[in-house]
Amino acid sequence: MNQPELVLLLQQGDESAFKKLVDEWQDMVYNTAVSIVQNADDADDITQEVFIQVYQSISSFKGESKFSTWLYKVTLSKALDHEKKKKRKKRFAFVQILFGNHDDEQLHPVEFDHPGIQLEKKQRANELFRALKQIPDKQRIAFTLHKLEGQSYQEIAQIMNTSLYAVESLMGRAKNSLKKVLNKYYLDHEK
Amino acid sequence: MNKKEGIDKLINEALSSVDNVSRAEPKPYLLTRIHARMNRSTESVWEKAGWFIARPAVAFTGLCMLILINLTVVVFNSRSEASVASAEQAAQTQSDEFSYTVATIYDIENNQP
Repeated sequence: MNQPELVLLLQQGDESAFKKLVDEWQDMVYNTAVSIVQNADDADDITQEVFIQVYQSISSFKGESKFSTWLYKVTLSKALDHEKKKKRKKRFAFVQILFGNHDDEQLHPVEFDHPGIQLEKKQRANELFRALKQIPDKQRIAFTLHKLEGQSYQEIAQIMNTSLYAVESLMGRAKNSLKKVLNKYYLDHEK
Repeated sequence: MNKKEGIDKLINEALSSVDNVSRAEPKPYLLTRIHARMNRSTESVWEKAGWFIARPAVAFTGLCMLILINLTVVVFNSRSEASVASAEQAAQTQSDEFSYTVATIYDIENNQP
């Protein structure tokens, strides 16, 4: 079954098409989400939300772009929304401390350990993920889609609704920002 | 290897640490959990209202509105109290000036003609 057929069946409310959609795309959605939010449980929640969103709004998909591009857009939007909610919760966690009801994980999140990274590279990868949290969202998304999702610059341009030149520029700036953050981190931790 | 070269090496290792990364997998039975979530009622009205109120822009605007309303009430009350007090005082002065009788217990108890 090709993508336009799958989309058509989904628009008709076909349950088996929805099952096929989840089977086929769950890895992509989950991996994108986990790279952005850097938490396995949150990524699992986002994956569920994305498929529910797709199920509810598939009628709005006009087929002007590839289905995968649309799915990436939904996933990124949900992941970024989730991050915003989490930041808001974190701000309120400070207030909760005053009432003696605080969640330590909210204030000091545990270090992210990507399940797909080789053991010998884990420490450097953890440092990279920590640095990724400190660079602007657009740079982070471009870097994540290219390096972790293996998307080409052309595909990233479509997902981010921008030009190829803008993606090349974003990638360059992302690498520079990461180098700066990592340089500071290694200098601080060498002392 | 000097210090700068050492740090540059670490940076390059970090940047290439995600090359050829394996795919992570979500927890099993994802479809079942999606169906369960679809069937479950989503956020209640109160939860949605809570999220809306907790937004910094909304909370700040609400706080400003509250302070403004309080200030308006305080200013309005102090003005009306002052005007009522002065009106009462004027009326009292006027009645004192035109009053020739002195109220006694006898007057109150025997007010019938």
